[in-house]
Amino acid sequence: MNAFTYIEPATIEEALATLVRHGEEAKLIAGGTGLVNLMKQRLVNPGCVVSLRRLAGLADVNLDDGKNLLIGALCTHRTLESSPIVREHAPLLAEAARRVATIRIRTMATLGGAVVHADPNQDLPPALIALDARVKLRSPKGEREVPIDQFFTGYYETVTQPDEIVTGIAIPPSARTTGSAYLKFLPQTADDYATVSVAARVALNNGTIADARVALGAAASTPLHARVVEDALRGQAPTRKTLEQAAALVGAIVDPIADFRGSVPYKRDMAIVFVRRALGDAIAAAGGAVI
Amino acid sequence: MKNIQVRVNGHPVAREIPDHRLLVDFLRYDLGLTGTKEGCSVGVCGACTVLLNGQPVSSCLALAVMADGGEVTTIEGLAEGDRLHPLQQAFIDYGGFQCGVCTPGQIMASKALLDANPHPTPAQIKEWMMGNLCRCTGYYKIIEAIQAAAAEKTEP
Amino acid sequence: MEGPRSIGQSAGHVEGPAKVTGRARYSADITLPGMLWGRALRSSFPHARIVSIDLSAARRVPGVHAVISGADLPEVRIGRFLRDIPVLARDRVRFIGEKVVAVAAETPDAADEALSLVDVEYEELPAVFDPIEAMAPDAPLIHEHPERYEHPPIPPIGGESRYHPFANVCSQSIYRRGDLAQGMATAERIFEHTFVVPPVHQGYIEPHACAAAIGPDGKIDIWISNKTPFIARRQLAAAFGVPEERVRVNPTSIGGDFGGKGSLMDSALCYFLARASRRPVRMVMNYTEELTAGNPRHSGVISLRTGVTRDGTIIAHQAKLIFNCGAYGAFIPLHFLHGSVHSAAGPYRIPHIEIESLRVYTNTVPRGHFRSPGAPQTTFAVESHMDMIAGELGMDPLEFRLRNVLVEGDESAMGERFHHIRCGETLTAAADAAKWNSPKPPNVGRGIGIYERAPGAFGTSGATLSLDRDGKLILITGAADTGTGSFTVLAQVVAEELQAPLADVIVCQGDTDTAEWEEGAGGSRLTHMAGRATLIAASEMKRALIELAARHFNCTSEQVQMRARRFIASDGRELDWKSLVAWAAEHEALPLTRSGSYVAAGHPDVTCYVAQVAEVEVDRETGQVRVRRMVSAHDVGTVINPLTHQGQIEGGLVQGLGQAMSEHLLLRDGAVTTAHLGDYKLPTAMDIPELTTVLVESQTGPGPFAGKSIGELSNVPPPAAIANAVFDAVGVRLTDLPITAEKIYTALRAMEKRN
Repeated sequence: MNAFTYIEPATIEEALATLVRHGEEAKLIAGGTGLVNLMKQRLVNPGCVVSLRRLAGLADVNLDDGKNLLIGALCTHRTLESSPIVREHAPLLAEAARRVATIRIRTMATLGGAVVHADPNQDLPPALIALDARVKLRSPKGEREVPIDQFFTGYYETVTQPDEIVTGIAIPPSARTTGSAYLKFLPQTADDYATVSVAARVALNNGTIADARVALGAAASTPLHARVVEDALRGQAPTRKTLEQAAALVGAIVDPIADFRGSVPYKRDMAIVFVRRALGDAIAAAGGAVI
Repeated sequence: MKNIQVRVNGHPVAREIPDHRLLVDFLRYDLGLTGTKEGCSVGVCGACTVLLNGQPVSSCLALAVMADGGEVTTIEGLAEGDRLHPLQQAFIDYGGFQCGVCTPGQIMASKALLDANPHPTPAQIKEWMMGNLCRCTGYYKIIEAIQAAAAEKTEP
Repeated sequence: MEGPRSIGQSAGHVEGPAKVTGRARYSADITLPGMLWGRALRSSFPHARIVSIDLSAARRVPGVHAVISGADLPEVRIGRFLRDIPVLARDRVRFIGEKVVAVAAETPDAADEALSLVDVEYEELPAVFDPIEAMAPDAPLIHEHPERYEHPPIPPIGGESRYHPFANVCSQSIYRRGDLAQGMATAERIFEHTFVVPPVHQGYIEPHACAAAIGPDGKIDIWISNKTPFIARRQLAAAFGVPEERVRVNPTSIGGDFGGKGSLMDSALCYFLARASRRPVRMVMNYTEELTAGNPRHSGVISLRTGVTRDGTIIAHQAKLIFNCGAYGAFIPLHFLHGSVHSAAGPYRIPHIEIESLRVYTNTVPRGHFRSPGAPQTTFAVESHMDMIAGELGMDPLEFRLRNVLVEGDESAMGERFHHIRCGETLTAAADAAKWNSPKPPNVGRGIGIYERAPGAFGTSGATLSLDRDGKLILITGAADTGTGSFTVLAQVVAEELQAPLADVIVCQGDTDTAEWEEGAGGSRLTHMAGRATLIAASEMKRALIELAARHFNCTSEQVQMRARRFIASDGRELDWKSLVAWAAEHEALPLTRSGSYVAAGHPDVTCYVAQVAEVEVDRETGQVRVRRMVSAHDVGTVINPLTHQGQIEGGLVQGLGQAMSEHLLLRDGAVTTAHLGDYKLPTAMDIPELTTVLVESQTGPGPFAGKSIGELSNVPPPAAIANAVFDAVGVRLTDLPITAEKIYTALRAMEKRN
């Protein structure tokens, strides 16, 4: 790893000012599991590493008056998987967090770090998409919110500007009869990125699918929001045929990268299988049954 | 360079280190605590597991400066003089190690497990310990050792 | 009562307290005053001529004490048997990762910075990566003068063997028995299948590390993760051009060996850096260097042709084993992969056999030894082939095997006459434990794999035993501790012979100055050979103690017996251990030291069998295989330590599982692309199947107290057992490893299309 200067600002204003001052030479670090690995391989060589470690108020989990779930960017994956509030109000996020890597990564890696890393193989982004999350960012110019499925622009790329820090996410409340599921297909060993992963959330109303969210990981150069699948489910009865037909539509929109976890045709076929399975699990979690 | 202050195994330590020093190198070479091992260097194998502020972390991915003001527990900090920690004794009695190089990491990770969940089921043990690779034992006896240590802890 | 029994008792590793507290020292833990970091610059070309090397900028980096290239070293080649690899590349590089330049610096950062400033000009040469292509007459020649490479005389095993017979072939071994052509002519059906096995890595959690220090008297101290310290000393001394006693290999714990830690790896280079910099130097490989430039398992193509009678009796068998040995042959301690020839005809009764085993140079990472070298690849082929034949004949794979496995009185395929042959019994025990004939749910299948391997009986082992004034027994062994529990087993041998509590036996690993010559670990020899040497030393100690007691009693030795730790004269007088020790101390007889050295008279006349049954469930929609359960049945001798014995079975089996299911060292254009453990998938605690172990016990081994060996058995059958189970489950036959979901999925969809 090349040498760098480590800076620990005490406030977010200081952090932003540091980013502006050092420009391209600066990289933010939270848990560090992503950045340190990249620096050790010399893929990234910042002159200055700006730690968010000491910033207060960015690791909270709260419900606001509208029952939106507000999670600070410095919450670790471990917090996400074990917080009673997250588990109750966004079980899909808790489940996806639980599947990330190993316990050691989860104690250090943060929500904010995961989101800006933007590796399409990651587990959190599809869950966040399926939860209609909004990303909150702050820059010297002020604050803004970006819907999560506009946040990822490419392979390891997001809309985050060089002078911006992700401060947290907001997740709107789910309807009462909502169920969700996160499936991570790991055909090799238990510690791996997914060959494909699916986050599904389904709201039932009198036995029909009122609404659905489906998002995939490891299926394209960004996490994939499968709107065509959602459109095919809305208003339908949750029959096996409906799920099969809806899931089949994902085959045309995935664009996976071939690697040792699977070829393109295999990942495509598995996307279809696991969308169908995740929908079935989500419906069961909502108290419904697939007929 | 940074001056950091860390409590390591209960003892206050103050050192001046380069900003980019990794925690694993700080422990092994600056402090001479070679009980923590480096295996894969990418945070996968778990040989470098230590407790940072009570949480299991990959010390090969942690910057030493991030431990400033905090507490680090390594394998050297578990035994009390001659008295082995129940996990250490269980790993000996149940064959939870062979070559021993992954063992400090295994024991630190299992300590973190029992701290968080004193009575884990075998499934919970496997899920927690999945990140600590072992090439010698095949894991069966590691799981037995952890179960045994957990059971001992409930004895009056 | 004869006193405390140690043999047959489970005991935790005697070095346990050191390992669980972090006090055990591995080679990367050695720190000496003034020590420098050594790092190597490695070739990024698979095959190239080195045109020029400019070290001037590198030498100017602050903190750098030495930068050397091949031109700075004596023209010496090293190797475990064939000495074909230079310490640093000289005129040519032959694989991506070959070491070209080395630096010793005060920090790893300074070393890396220096290496980044080294300017090497290469002229690329045509490269070849596939062993079959490399055997073609027009293939680029990787070694231009292999006849110049030195090696010890080739032992007469494995048939007729030659080095460098043609093209890029490193070694060729041909074994014949009976008359293959005639045998095939009388066969009623002939089956031919080809199998492909990729390279896999030993996956020890400790990457290779070493340290070198040169004393003012010229004494060279070496620390190295190497399981044969005495052989390392010999090879290092030859490489340095010094007498052996000038080199001392110091004890360290080894973080996993599995055959991969028997070479000098970086240690000779580390010495040259120490010499050039006049400081102690440590070199620690990172795991990427291990995966890309270590010494992984030989990959290969195995073609089998077998002739049988209509009722399923094997008559003739031909095997061609083409192994990719990578750019150098230096990393195995023999001329050929012993386990490949040895297991190519399995533990079967076959009168007509021809086996050809080739190791072929390619411009890829040199291959080494890995637990039962050659056997997992070959047994995957043979045991799959046997199932395929049984299937074609409409026979149950269990019945087909029971018809053909060796029984008492048979000669093995290699012409060995073993006694107490329990292959059929072991196989039946495995099948019974697996409930072979019980009904299976859909998509669940069972498969068998069997393998035979005798305890190693080669080399010389030594032991020194001392009784000190506290009555403690100090065993000094030259064996290295690779984690198998060997120190504990040796302690138990002493404890048993001298009727001592295990806690009274202290095992020390001596260095190469202070310990008796010990061939070291490998080939499943340590319990047998070091155990016998230890037993000799302990027996000698016992005799000496009886003599001391006789002196005390003022009678002859013949009139004294040792029972239950007491010395009893024929007239009834008794002396307990403590009292004898005290008396001996008073009479200046302590410390009392006896040694033992052991060389086997010949090969053992008993062997070990393993039979495994895998039970799998296949998810037809995804092709994913879940190994629900494995049964591993073992034909064993006296089990000295059930705990460590079982540990070897379990660890080996999970290694075999990795080779079967998830491990694949991927090579592209000569480069290893699975370059860290995130990409090279070792099994985790969540990947292990339910395991049932069955021991078919007897007291028939060549080791002390009739022990056999266990280390290189359970890792061999899993790939075949699982492949056979997958076929049983869903009718998909995979003839290459690993067994992946995608391969099964693709095969299932193709089968559906055809129907």
